[in-house]
Amino acid sequence: MEVMNISYISPDQVIFWKLAGGLITINATLVYTWLVMAILVAGSWLVTRHLSTGIHVPRWQNFLEVVVSAIRSEIRDVSPEGSDRYVPFIGTLFVFIALSNVLVIVPGYVAPTASLTTTAALAITVFIAVPLYGITKQGIIEYLKEYFRPTFIFFPFHVMGELSRTLALAVRLFGNIMSHEKVVGILLAVTPLFFPIVMQALGLLIGMIQAYIFSILAMVYIASATQAHEDKKHGTEKDGLAAQRANP
Amino acid sequence: MHIDWFVFFAQIVNFLILVYLLKRFLYGRIIAAMDNREALIASRLEDAERLKSEAGQSAEAYEKKYQSLLERSEEMLNQAKEAAKAREVELMDRAREEVDQVRQRWLETIEREKISFLQDLRKRAGSQVYAIARNALTELADAELERRIADVFLDRLRNLDSTQAQAIRETMGKSATDVMIKSAFEIPPDIREQIKGALKPYLTDGSGIAFETSSEVISGVEMRAQGHKVAWSLNDYLETLEENFSQALQLEAMKKH
Repeated sequence: MEVMNISYISPDQVIFWKLAGGLITINATLVYTWLVMAILVAGSWLVTRHLSTGIHVPRWQNFLEVVVSAIRSEIRDVSPEGSDRYVPFIGTLFVFIALSNVLVIVPGYVAPTASLTTTAALAITVFIAVPLYGITKQGIIEYLKEYFRPTFIFFPFHVMGELSRTLALAVRLFGNIMSHEKVVGILLAVTPLFFPIVMQALGLLIGMIQAYIFSILAMVYIASATQAHEDKKHGTEKDGLAAQRANP
Repeated sequence: MHIDWFVFFAQIVNFLILVYLLKRFLYGRIIAAMDNREALIASRLEDAERLKSEAGQSAEAYEKKYQSLLERSEEMLNQAKEAAKAREVELMDRAREEVDQVRQRWLETIEREKISFLQDLRKRAGSQVYAIARNALTELADAELERRIADVFLDRLRNLDSTQAQAIRETMGKSATDVMIKSAFEIPPDIREQIKGALKPYLTDGSGIAFETSSEVISGVEMRAQGHKVAWSLNDYLETLEENFSQALQLEAMKKH
């Protein structure tokens, strides 16, 4: 079952329906995104319907607990304070990208993350979430002041940095997944036996690594936006304490 | 690179919906379940710690109790031993006492038997001697002997020592009392007169002299007045003989012991 021709770069090019004179297009990217969302939501709902808080934990609940606690601990490593606030956003980034990438072993499936539209959308959510979390935490003035540190000359560089890292997020994920699919497709044509299987396995690894990189980078950006000011505050407090100790 | 803007915004919306749904169905519930379990485990650990310390305390208490019971049982055993020893001593003492009592009773019985035997012997010996003496005296007795006996009595009466005579006189002087003369035989009238004459100094007015023949007085004559007695008879000698005999037997018994 071949959904996407090898000559297509992105699943965006596989269009199922066109409505409203081509303004609304339902393509493979959207359909597979909905599929992944459906699996995630239905699976979560099914498992968390009857949660056990006792000593005996059902298998699937245990699996989800492992996933969620791994996400929590990673977030806590980056941002020790208020880590549970970031779990829904960062966790959803991770599980969505990971499941999208892992499902490529299913024949006929095309990862929505192989579309630059999807990765750009995810990168834009990160681009918007970072200042939102930063402003929520520090206030708008304190947050904006960060762009003029150490001097106002750095403002354009800060803005360029924000934009370029967002672009990097989008292109990194898209490039990795898309190129992998193309590589596997070409290899399948050249050496049809054994080697594509190894490449598929490698593809699972790459998919997981990309999901991890995307979400952990998002977390790092959020942390840098929320903690820059705090670090400075902690620094002055520490200096004050040191001075107190020196001159009691 | 082509970007479909409708799909782009649709993906943003899709992602935000997914964030909301997963927050609702996954993270919130799972984190709550894990926190609850952690709290449960913490409380169970706390309970376990508390129970452990309680168990340790009660084990210590039981150990102490056990030790005290051991000590107490040892003490009780010692007490029981001491009591048994004391009881043994007491029982031994009692047994000894009882043995002594039995022995005492036995000795007393022997003594009584001895006495009764002696009495019996004395009675028999006495009665034998009496019988012999009586026979002999009966065979020998004649008027001459009786007269002779009466003479001896009369002689005694006349030769009373001054103390006795004085005592008799004082007693008789107090009240008028009859003087009883007992004899184993009929005293001849002349001797009677002589006896009356000998007694005259002692008698007060109104006192009489009575003569009586009695077999108790063996071959003799005796005078009794207010507890005073003057006599001569074989009975005296026989009593002396009996006494000597009894003493001899007692000495013999003591030597045997």
